[in-house]
Amino acid sequence: MKKNITPYLFAAPAFLVLGYFSILPMLQTAYYSTLEYSFFGPHRFIGAANYVRLFTDPHFWATLLNSLLFLSVTPVLMVVSLTLALSVRNLLRGARIVRLMLFLPVVTPVVIAGIVWRWIFTEETGLLNHLLSLASVGPVRWLTEFPTNLVSAMLVTVWRGMGYYMMLFLAGLALVPREVEEAGILDGATPLQQVWHVLLPLLRPTLLFVAVVSSSAAVKVFTEQYILIPGAPLDNKALVSFLYRHAFERFDFGYGSAAGMVLFGMTLLFSYTQVRLMDREQSS
Amino acid sequence: MRKALSRIVIITASAAAVIPFLWLAATSVKGAEELFVYPPTFIPRTFQWENYTGVWNAIPFGLYLVNSLTVALLSVVFNLLLSSLAGFALARYRFRYRGLLFGAVLFSMMVPKEMLVIPLFTSVLRLHLADSLLGVVLPFAVEGMGIFLMRQAFLALPRDVEEAAVMDGAAPLRLWWSVMLPMVRPSLAALAIFTFIGSWGDFLWPMVVLKSQEHYTVQVGLSMMLGTFVDNYRYVAAGSLLALLPVALLFILMQRHFERGLLSGSGK
Repeated sequence: MKKNITPYLFAAPAFLVLGYFSILPMLQTAYYSTLEYSFFGPHRFIGAANYVRLFTDPHFWATLLNSLLFLSVTPVLMVVSLTLALSVRNLLRGARIVRLMLFLPVVTPVVIAGIVWRWIFTEETGLLNHLLSLASVGPVRWLTEFPTNLVSAMLVTVWRGMGYYMMLFLAGLALVPREVEEAGILDGATPLQQVWHVLLPLLRPTLLFVAVVSSSAAVKVFTEQYILIPGAPLDNKALVSFLYRHAFERFDFGYGSAAGMVLFGMTLLFSYTQVRLMDREQSS
Repeated sequence: MRKALSRIVIITASAAAVIPFLWLAATSVKGAEELFVYPPTFIPRTFQWENYTGVWNAIPFGLYLVNSLTVALLSVVFNLLLSSLAGFALARYRFRYRGLLFGAVLFSMMVPKEMLVIPLFTSVLRLHLADSLLGVVLPFAVEGMGIFLMRQAFLALPRDVEEAAVMDGAAPLRLWWSVMLPMVRPSLAALAIFTFIGSWGDFLWPMVVLKSQEHYTVQVGLSMMLGTFVDNYRYVAAGSLLALLPVALLFILMQRHFERGLLSGSGK
């Protein structure tokens, strides 16, 4: 076939946008992180000084640690959403409405979810502490005490995520041949044994996918905390809040970019695995 | 036994999923004096529908909704157009830099949006798009995931489709538009729904770009109301419910498309 410029013309608009607004900014962040670059002044190359400052900044370590702690939503989400999927898939009636109810939090904007939960978490007059008080628990300092306020944001994340991961598990379970399970029942395996020894190994790709998607989102948590605990000290929040504080409240773009590079490094393993899984699935 | 356990799980989770929405709805019609009573009341004593007109009049809330709708619809149009053009090229043509371009798509999927906001902000300033809706839309007018999904959709089509069309002498652009696009309609629908919901709920980037109140999207507007209307939760609640309605309705009406699309991008 002769040389054909047609595919280039088709690809050009998208790749101009992608290049200018995704690939180039990635390189710019790396470059900015080596600059003394304030919004208000000229910039100047300072080598690794931003990173040295970062690694000696206790607020950086505190927010980094919180981002890592936030990873504990992943095992919780996996257990909750797999349990839900196992329960929902044998529903004969009402499966659609149950999926609808569980999925509504997924499409709810984070800001709105944060607003609702902030009221539910309100310590003196909120719904949650009221319910807990009926069981003589609390009052729990959901918003004002660390690390409880970290857990509150995690709860919002689990609430918004469980329906999504349940759907992924349902799709994974749909691929498990019926005979495999029936064989397990005939062997006299208890339901739990059956899940553990038969289903989980077959669900490995889905489990891995859910784990990496949830983890890379967890490290990047921001809006939940921005809405839930706006007045809390920075040390109660996670790494993106640190980036936001320095880049957009103090306009220290160089320092913020260095934090951005750390964020990239932290999510890379998860997002790389995610993309690998998606690409492999597609080409097989 | 197993059935009963399943039922308990489902009822508990459904209640946990739905109660916050009921709480939001209840708060949105409560009177000011009922907001912080203890114990909290689930069913409001009085129904103050004025909260809805209140939020509408106290701030340019209608404008926020229009801005969000503009941003979301523009994002949908741009993403569908650009992703399906590029996805078509990557899936149905062999050309020299195809591997490199697809590599760029995969790479862009690994870069967290949160780390790009600083250089994107400086770019948008340079382009004189700061504090504008176009500045919110343009940087995400196409995303790696969208190109990936459309490539996947076009790859799944049988080989002989375009051969027949090419024999008919169809120009490539017409082939793409009138033969190929109709065949990937489910993927287009899924991408449209995802883009709309994602763009409607986006917060960090619009907050960085938009400075003046008349340009706020509804999420930025709500977060600002939260700061200024401290004593007026009921307005914020009414506003939140109004801002939730479009995505909730879209999802309820398109549940089937949504669920199918979800799985096409999930490694399944």
